Amino acid sequence: MTAAVTYAMILAGGLGSRLCLLSEKRAKPAVPFGGKYRIIDFTLSNAVNSGIFDIGILTQYRPLSLRDHIAMGRPWDLDRKRGGVELLQPFQGWRENDWYRGTADAVWQNWLQVEERGAEHLLVLSGDHVYRMDYRPLVEAHLARGAEATVATFEVPREQASAFGVVRVDGAGWITGFLEKPKDPPSGRISMGVYVFHCGVLREALEKDARRTSAHDFGKDILPALVERGRVLAYPVPGYWQDIGTLDSYYQANLDLLSPEPAFPLEDPRWPIFTPSTENPPARLGPRAQVRASIVTHGTIVHGTVERSILFPGVVVEEGAVVRDSIVMGDSWIGPRAVLDRAILDKRVHVGRGAVVGRGDLATPNRVCPEHLSSGITIVGKHARIPEGIAIGRNARIAPDLTEEDFPGGDVPSGEALERPGGIPAHAATSA
Amino acid sequence: MVNPPILVLVLAGARSDRLHALGRLRTASALPYGGKYRVIDFALSNCVHSGLYRIGVLTQYAPLSLHGHIGIGRAWDLDRRDGGVRLLPAYARQRGTNWYRGTADALVQNRNVIEDAQARHILVLSGDLVAKINFGPILDRHEQRGAALTIVTVPAPSGPGEWRRPVLSEPGGRVTSIPDRAADTGAPVSSSVLLFRARELRARLERADVGPDLMRDVVEPMLAEGQPVYAHPFDGYWRQIASVDAYYEASMELLAPYPALNLHDPDWLIFTPSEDRAPAIVTGGGDPAGSLMAHGCRLEGTVRRSILFPGVHVAPGAVVEDSIVMHDTRVLEGARVARAIVDKEVRIGEGASVGGGEGPPNRDYPEDLASGLAVIGKGAEVPAGGRVGANTLVDIGARETDFPALELGAGSVVRARGGRRS
Repeated sequence: MTAAVTYAMILAGGLGSRLCLLSEKRAKPAVPFGGKYRIIDFTLSNAVNSGIFDIGILTQYRPLSLRDHIAMGRPWDLDRKRGGVELLQPFQGWRENDWYRGTADAVWQNWLQVEERGAEHLLVLSGDHVYRMDYRPLVEAHLARGAEATVATFEVPREQASAFGVVRVDGAGWITGFLEKPKDPPSGRISMGVYVFHCGVLREALEKDARRTSAHDFGKDILPALVERGRVLAYPVPGYWQDIGTLDSYYQANLDLLSPEPAFPLEDPRWPIFTPSTENPPARLGPRAQVRASIVTHGTIVHGTVERSILFPGVVVEEGAVVRDSIVMGDSWIGPRAVLDRAILDKRVHVGRGAVVGRGDLATPNRVCPEHLSSGITIVGKHARIPEGIAIGRNARIAPDLTEEDFPGGDVPSGEALERPGGIPAHAATSA
Repeated sequence: MVNPPILVLVLAGARSDRLHALGRLRTASALPYGGKYRVIDFALSNCVHSGLYRIGVLTQYAPLSLHGHIGIGRAWDLDRRDGGVRLLPAYARQRGTNWYRGTADALVQNRNVIEDAQARHILVLSGDLVAKINFGPILDRHEQRGAALTIVTVPAPSGPGEWRRPVLSEPGGRVTSIPDRAADTGAPVSSSVLLFRARELRARLERADVGPDLMRDVVEPMLAEGQPVYAHPFDGYWRQIASVDAYYEASMELLAPYPALNLHDPDWLIFTPSEDRAPAIVTGGGDPAGSLMAHGCRLEGTVRRSILFPGVHVAPGAVVEDSIVMHDTRVLEGARVARAIVDKEVRIGEGASVGGGEGPPNRDYPEDLASGLAVIGKGAEVPAGGRVGANTLVDIGARETDFPALELGAGSVVRARGGRRS
C-alpha cells in the first residue's frame, strides 16, 4: 500500500435492525453470507489484498460472533507482530469514554489508535458491504488531488438512492453536496461508505462534532461539514457493490451468486475472499440427491432436492426433502419430505419431517416487521425446532430457540410472527 | 499424553511404483484422497486424536508436496512448543552420504531424533494408510503386556497382488512367527503399524550389523531372540494405498450410502490444510448424485458416483461417472469421463472420452492396470474428440501432440515426449 495509508478502521458496530432476526444476536458484519463467508470478510479481504495489514474494527452491538470469527485474524494473514487486526470495543476510561454514540464518535473515542501510528491519512471502511475493491488507486487519487477527504462512490438507480448518502459532484470531481438518505435524491451517485481522510482535518472535524449535539455519524455530520470546506473528492468505483441493508437485499445478493454468469463471482484467484475454514469433509451428495443452480459447501449432506439455494457447512437435507429458493445456514437439519420455499434459516434450525416452511399467500406482510418482511420470505431464527408436519406461511417470522412445544396451534399462517413465550433460554446467550 | 511419552515416526518416503503416474511426483502418503485430503492426513489426525503430539515424518522420494502440505503442522494443531511435527528428510553428513536404504535404515539414520525424544515407546507407522485408528487402547495393552513390540494386525486383504506375510500368534496374542512363504493361511497380516518399546528398538538400531528392512532386520530378529512380541488385532477401517486399484477402491468406498469410513464423524475429524476457495456451485441440471464435492468446483454438466477435488470444472454437456477427478482439472463441453482417475490440472478436451468399457490389460503394466481404470497424469491434455479406452495410462504432462492417434484402444500408454516419463 502507499506508505501514506497503512491503517484502516472498519465500522462494524451498528445494529442492523432491518435484517430482522439475522442480526438480533450478531452484528450485521457477522451475518453469514454466500455459503461460507460472513459479510465482513469482503471488506477485510479487500484490505489485505490492497496491502493493508493494520486494521481496527469498531464494534459495539453483539460483538461476540464477530470476535469469534476474526479471532487473531489468521485467515487474512492478520496475525502479525506488527499491525494485525484488533477489535475496538467501547471501554471505560478516565475521560469521556462511553458507549459509541455514532460512527464518528466510535472513531473519535479510538483516536489514540490513529495518533499512535503517526499516519497522515486514514482509511475508513464499512463492514457490511459485498464488493471487491482495490483501495490503492483510491488512495493514490486522494493524494494526487490533494484532497482532505475522498469518498468512493457508486452508481445505483436513482429511485434506490434514497437509502444511501447521495453526493453532488462538480465537473472536476469535487463533492459539492452530501445528502444522507434524501427523500428525493438528485442522482443515483451514492457514497459506498469507503473514505480516505487526511488525519489532521478529520481530527479537527471529529473533535468539533464530539462537542456538538448531533448523530455523531460520518454520513450525517462529518462529511457534510468537510464538504463545506470544498476539498472532498469523489472517486467513482465501477463493478459490483451491494449494501446488505435489508432482508430483501440480503436475500437477493445471495441468490445473485447462483446465476450462470454471476455479477459477483465468489471465486476469483486474483482477489480471493478469505474466511476461516471449518473442518469439514467435502459435500456429500447421496445416490438420489438432486442439486440444481445451488451453492453447496463442505460438510453438507444432501439426500433430497436442492434448487436455487445456498447451503452452509453442515446442513443436512434428508431424503424426499425439497429446498427451493432458500438460504440455509450452518448445521441446520431438513427432515425427510420437509419443504423449504423462499425461506432463510439461521444456524442449527431443525425442520421436522414433512414440515413446510413458506407456503400460502404472498400478500400478507409480517405483522411485527411489515416493512422488512413483505416479499414472501419466511425467516426462522437460530436453533428453532419446527414440529413435524406443520405448515408455516410466507412472510412469517419464527423466533430463535423455539421448540416444538411453542407451536401449540400447529400451522403458522402467513405474516405471523411467532415469538418466544418466556424469557431467554440459557443457550440463547451464546454467540452466533 | 505426557506419561509415558511416545514418539511417532511416520514412514512417508518410499516411492510407490505401483501407483504409476499418480505416484511419480509424490509418494502414496501425499496422494490426494477423499475430495480434499492427502493420505497422510489420516496418520496425522489419528495421532492427534489419540493424544500423540510428537511426530516425525520421514521423507525421501519426491518430498516437496508432502513438505508443503504439512508445513509446520498447523492443520493438526501440531505447531507446538513441546513436540509437534518434524519433517525428517535424508540428509548429507560429514562421514557417509546416504539415502535411506530401507525402513530400518531410515530409523538408523534418525537415531539422534529417537534418542532426543527420550520416549518410552516408539510408534512406527506407514504414511500410506487410510484408516481410523485410536492408538490409545493399543498403547494401553502394549504397556500391560510389557511388550517389546506390538504389531497391529488386520484381516488379510484379498485380491491379486495383495498377498502379505501372515502374523501367526498364540491365543494370548504372543506372536510365534511371520512366515514369508505360506499359502493362504487366513491369518491376519501386519497393518504397517508397529509399536516398539524404545529400549529394544534403540538397542537393535545401534547394532553395526542391522540391515535396511524393518520387518526382516528388526522385527524378525526380535522374534528369533524370544522377545515379547504381540499381535494386536484391529478390526476398524484400514486400507493401504499401494496400488492404483487399492486407491480407487478405497476412494469409491466413501460413496457408499453408509460408508465404512465416515468422514463426517464429529469426534474423529480428519484434519487437512484448507484451501481458500469459494463454495462449490452446481449450475446445470446434472445432479451430482452419489458424489463427494469439494470447494471451488463448478458443475455445469452431469456428475455421478464421483469424487471431485477443489476447483474441478465440469462444463455443460460433459459427463463424469465413477471417477476421481483432482484439483483444477477441466472437463470441457461434451466430454465424457468414466472409471478414470484424473490427476490435477488435466484438460479433457471438448467431446473427448476417457475410460469406460472393457478391454485387455495395459500393454506395459498388465499386472497393475487391468481392472478397467484409465489413469491420466497431472497436467496432461486429452485432445478434443479423443478417445482413451480402459486400462490406459496417459503420462504426466502429455500434450495433445503426444497422442499417437485420436482414438486409443484399451491398454494403451501415452508417453510425454521430452517430458517426464511415467
